[in-house]
Amino acid sequence: MVIYLGDKFGFTISLMAFAVIIYMLVSIFYLYVAVGEHWNLVLSALLDSRVHGAIFISISSALLVGFLAIVSSIPVAYLLTYMEIRGKEILETFLIDIPQTFPPVTEGLVYLLMFGRFGLAYTYAAVIIAKFYVSAPFTISFASRRFREIKESGMDIIARSLGAKTSHILTKILLPLSARDLIAGFSLTWARAMGELAATLVFAGAIPWVTETLPVLIYLTSSESPQVAIAASVIMETLSIISLLLFKFIARRRY
Amino acid sequence: MSLYIRNVSKSFGKVKVLDKVELLVEQGELMVIMGPSGCGKTTLLLVILGALRPDEGQIWIGDREITNLRVEERNIGYVPQDFGLFPHLSVYENIAFGLKIRGYSKLEIDSKVRNLLRIVNLDGLETRKPKELSGGQRQRVALARALAINPSLLLLDEPLSNIDEATKSDVIEKLKDLQKEVGITTICVTHNPEDAFKLGNRIAIMYLGRIIQCGKPEEILKEPKNEVVKRLVASMYILWNKA
Repeated sequence: MVIYLGDKFGFTISLMAFAVIIYMLVSIFYLYVAVGEHWNLVLSALLDSRVHGAIFISISSALLVGFLAIVSSIPVAYLLTYMEIRGKEILETFLIDIPQTFPPVTEGLVYLLMFGRFGLAYTYAAVIIAKFYVSAPFTISFASRRFREIKESGMDIIARSLGAKTSHILTKILLPLSARDLIAGFSLTWARAMGELAATLVFAGAIPWVTETLPVLIYLTSSESPQVAIAASVIMETLSIISLLLFKFIARRRY
Repeated sequence: MSLYIRNVSKSFGKVKVLDKVELLVEQGELMVIMGPSGCGKTTLLLVILGALRPDEGQIWIGDREITNLRVEERNIGYVPQDFGLFPHLSVYENIAFGLKIRGYSKLEIDSKVRNLLRIVNLDGLETRKPKELSGGQRQRVALARALAINPSLLLLDEPLSNIDEATKSDVIEKLKDLQKEVGITTICVTHNPEDAFKLGNRIAIMYLGRIIQCGKPEEILKEPKNEVVKRLVASMYILWNKA
């Protein structure tokens, strides 16, 4: 392939692109540089029980939210694909776009008001609830898009002409053909859930080994003991990068 | 079985795509519906299949009215233009799809699938995935898959549009032979007059949502009902005169 960078405009455009790319990469990897020779701080943080707790709560809750997102995205995507009503796009905006951009602090407060009286605030369940709202839409969006593609290909109608009922369409056509998209959605949901701070902090608080996640720990320790915060950040960032790359590898399309 | 389409209409918004369509296809017949793009032929096919509901009219297969049945209850074999093979399944699994759903035993499925593979000339390709097949092979898998459920009716949407020119006449002969061998009532839709005249026992000419003439190829050429029919089949006179 010939890339047209030869003329002035092409050169300027590629220069701009390089600037953005370098900025993004530096943003990601600067932390490792900043830690520099103080790797021993990271290692000692790894031995801290509070950090262990935060890692455990973060990973377990993000995984759980990822699985819940898959389970709930399937019926929602099915409905969004096959329901023929007006205002479907608005419903989709409320299910997918708004949660992703909703101010998490406000969301935490809403849940505090909604579920606080049921004794759900400051529990592990609160961590899941807070993270689910902002991160599940990734999976819902991926699943809906793929289901719609399959519907447009007409494969569902062919399957029906062969006698398939809705259960068959789901288990033999939609799910196998969307497996990779669900994994891709899961990976983004998981990553978003790992990074969620404000809603979790407001609704679930920061009880070590119960509700304190890595972002909450980082936020709370960043002023009093920054070395712990930096160490926890390194752990979190490494986890996120490795897991995203791994999921991306698993989710490569085969067909 | 025979198919009777009675007074079927269908509109999308203000556009009337099917306008009181009447058509009778006899048992075992290969009927071609021919017409220019946008004349409503694919819509008619989807209405017969059950993927679209008509606004009015009825559809009968034999003495059973199917107008309000769901797609999965109609027992109609359908081969779309792009063949619509399931990309995640092998040739064998594609053909076995309908049989598995119907709860046939493994042994029955195997004997039926092997038999169909032989009929459509695909022996030895059963483990291939659709992407590893040629256009013609894909079409034959789709045909075998549709025939596997022993349908009362077979619908083919533009069966020759994804086939190389070089192999087209061969495919037409094979399609005709296969249809005769299985003896299944078949409706085939095409925009191409040449394909229509080579394939069909009878041809229904469709224009602006109506069937404006239906008859044997030579009848249509001899006595075109009006100027539109004449114009639509114009290219056929040259071929006909040659033959």
